[in-house]
Amino acid sequence: MRKTFKRAVPVLVVAAIGVAAWTVKTTSQARPMPSNRNGDWPYYTADIHGTKYSSLDQVNQNNFKNLEVAWRFKTDNLGTRPEYKLEGTPLAINGVLYTTAGTRRSVIALDGKTGELIWSHSYREGNRAAIAPRQLSGRGVAYWTDGKGDERVLYVTTGYRLVALNAKNGSMVNAFGEGGVVDLKKGAVFGKGQQIDLETGEIGLHSTPLVVKDVVIVGSSFKEGMTVKTHNNTKGLVRAYDVKTGKLLWTFNTIPRPGEFGNDSWENESWAINGNTGVWTQMTADEEAGLVYLPVEDPTSDFYGGHRPGNNLFGDSLVCVDVKTGQRKWHYQIVHHPIWDYDLSSAPILLDVTVDGKPMKAVALPSKEAFLYVFNRITGQPIWPIEEKPVPQSDVPMEKTSPTQPFPTKPPAYARQAVTVDELINFTPELNAQAKELVSKYRLGPMFLPGVVSKAEGPIAALTIGTTGGGTNWPGAGADPDTGIVYAQAANAGVAPIGLVEPPPGFSDIKYVAGTAGQPFVEREGPGFGSAADSPLRGGAVQRAAEAERAAGRGAATPAPAAAAGGRGAAPQGGGGGLTVQGLPLLKPPYGVLNAIDVNKGELKWQVPHGDTPDAVRNSPALRGLNIPKTGQQGSVGLLVTKTLVVLGDPQVTTTPEHPRGAMLRAYNKDTGAEVGAVFMPAPQSGSPMTYKGQDGRQYIVVAVSGGAYSGEFISFAIPGGGERPTTQQ
Amino acid sequence: MRLKFLAYALIPLATAAIVVAQDKSVWDGIYTDDQANRGKQLYSDACASCHGPELTGGEMAPPLVGGDFTSDWNGLTVGDLFERMRISMPQNAPGSLTGAQNADILAFVLQANKFPSGQTELAKDAMMLKGIKFETKKPGH
Repeated sequence: MRKTFKRAVPVLVVAAIGVAAWTVKTTSQARPMPSNRNGDWPYYTADIHGTKYSSLDQVNQNNFKNLEVAWRFKTDNLGTRPEYKLEGTPLAINGVLYTTAGTRRSVIALDGKTGELIWSHSYREGNRAAIAPRQLSGRGVAYWTDGKGDERVLYVTTGYRLVALNAKNGSMVNAFGEGGVVDLKKGAVFGKGQQIDLETGEIGLHSTPLVVKDVVIVGSSFKEGMTVKTHNNTKGLVRAYDVKTGKLLWTFNTIPRPGEFGNDSWENESWAINGNTGVWTQMTADEEAGLVYLPVEDPTSDFYGGHRPGNNLFGDSLVCVDVKTGQRKWHYQIVHHPIWDYDLSSAPILLDVTVDGKPMKAVALPSKEAFLYVFNRITGQPIWPIEEKPVPQSDVPMEKTSPTQPFPTKPPAYARQAVTVDELINFTPELNAQAKELVSKYRLGPMFLPGVVSKAEGPIAALTIGTTGGGTNWPGAGADPDTGIVYAQAANAGVAPIGLVEPPPGFSDIKYVAGTAGQPFVEREGPGFGSAADSPLRGGAVQRAAEAERAAGRGAATPAPAAAAGGRGAAPQGGGGGLTVQGLPLLKPPYGVLNAIDVNKGELKWQVPHGDTPDAVRNSPALRGLNIPKTGQQGSVGLLVTKTLVVLGDPQVTTTPEHPRGAMLRAYNKDTGAEVGAVFMPAPQSGSPMTYKGQDGRQYIVVAVSGGAYSGEFISFAIPGGGERPTTQQ
Repeated sequence: MRLKFLAYALIPLATAAIVVAQDKSVWDGIYTDDQANRGKQLYSDACASCHGPELTGGEMAPPLVGGDFTSDWNGLTVGDLFERMRISMPQNAPGSLTGAQNADILAFVLQANKFPSGQTELAKDAMMLKGIKFETKKPGH
């Protein structure tokens, strides 16, 4: 007996110490992994499945309209000048926000309750950032933790470096890469595999990295592809690194090399003289299955493919790869031989649904095409048939278009896909007649109408929609993972003319670039290009001299006149370069819509216009006396989804009887699409909203606004006086 | 006594001057034709490549004439528009134009939108221009 007792005591003591140690560890270090089911927002898309969903419901249909501004954070001084294109969606982990901000693309941590700056980090890159293809603050950061106290924030700099920061204090993690940095330009190639110049080589990124367990995955982006200087541009790629050490784990070449599957879809060895084909938007992953989903963009030159005959895999394809090896598991090409700027623009959304009574692991891809492409995410099989149908063929010299393109049978299109005579403005017969007269000099046609060589006597261009701006563009869509409903905003009036001209002598080796016959040639470089913190100031005289050099055909070292909005930036403002009728949009409303798509059934559940009727329409003398129903607004905005609400803001400012000059952040009933509340913002939504639980127990909604006279600001809303209070007590 | 009376008489005058300044809008002839002509050349060099030779914009940049443009700035001040230009334009060389150059270009843009010209040039200072309202509707209409 005594013996047993003696032996038992040490065991008990050890056990007691063990329990005490475990308790201490729990409270000070180990914490449940952050989750959007727990009041966090640990991914750009809320979760790794791309849903933009939060289970928080303190803000609901009854009280949304009572939201008040809790705090604001201006980004003016995070760089050498204020930014007017703040596009980030912050992360929230345990009540602390992390995001990129400012013309420097600094990284900041904010107290989620007060907006106070906790720390900020910035990386000076000099000329490498000044000439980078993707400038300004980008879309945000990624977060990783080992669950035991090591917390990191990862982001890609303007100059294309992957940086790991200590989330507690913003210092660079020495153990990652070299002093916290992996130079992503190393390994980026052009041609048959030639390393690009580390300073001047073209490659960059706006989107955030994707963290999948202990792997961090990074995409690639380039300048706008409408007026490329060479078809032999840098080649896109996706790479995975060990999140702790920065060691390269695998590379997926989106342009297959000789011997790799798909290489023969680049006829005449054209794989060797083309590039782009990056993954510039957000990726998602199925952690259990170990699969990553890559939405791929166009190959070099968005509107002309004469130097790359063939289908050009994996351009405009959804590719599924193994997270451990980067091996392709399946792919589906959304556009064959891409020449419409139909880049796959946003996160593929992973949902577990029930189709015809059977459980189905699905991936639903929103798109500029305004189709939601739905596949079995394990096998790649389309859930409903996607039919190859004949489409118009190009008459541009040396262009060889695909005879067919894929058309999903379900769900139906959720925004306009073509500009036809039936879509023209028709508030009055006079306006309709003027519109018909205007478009008579352009080519009209169904979806997949190819661009034309621009002729001053006509056709000036092919009129398309959804190509450059979408449809659904970079802000993407969201979903309720519990019901299998996707919510997708779509621009619906962004007419995009596609006309081609021969480039000025010496400008490029490509035969055709985007342009209009009879108009001076304009190089389109990228949203915000030239506005990064490191971009040089140049006096007017210096600028004119540089332009004279360019006109003489010598490639200038300094950037050419830049383009603002483009395919990956904001959607075109109504009309696109004079395509308006008495100041009104060319197409009839709705100009922008919010959709609910049931992925269980493949059906459109509801569609409503989103956004106030624009001032130019409401106040138009041509429409005086007419009662115009709410038209919604042209533009691309992102959303978030909660238990009861879909929340998104207006892409434009208006002045209405209900509110002074500004934009509204709106909440919609998920079941019906009825608007249940709106709160005022002083500027348009320019970054997608997110929501989280603060350390005070309150639910906050944060959104980036900027544009016009208003420089970038994060605005945080909450219910006044709200605390830990169940919604049933409202 | 007389001084006091004078002081009282002067107050309404002073008040009137301030009121006039605050009531100024784009309809009050706030730039000169010469200034707009200078602005036209500068616009062509620095702005037309994105905003279009006819200011109609395009996929690269918004229009600077017409309803879309004026409703975007309606209710703000000329100073707000001036500051946005001065800080962030032209996009590939923001801040490279002088205050005077920005004022001249702005005068040209106002002329293109058919706001009337007058005897005084547009000032080259945002703070001063903040006193001038940008209004799409002519007062009294």
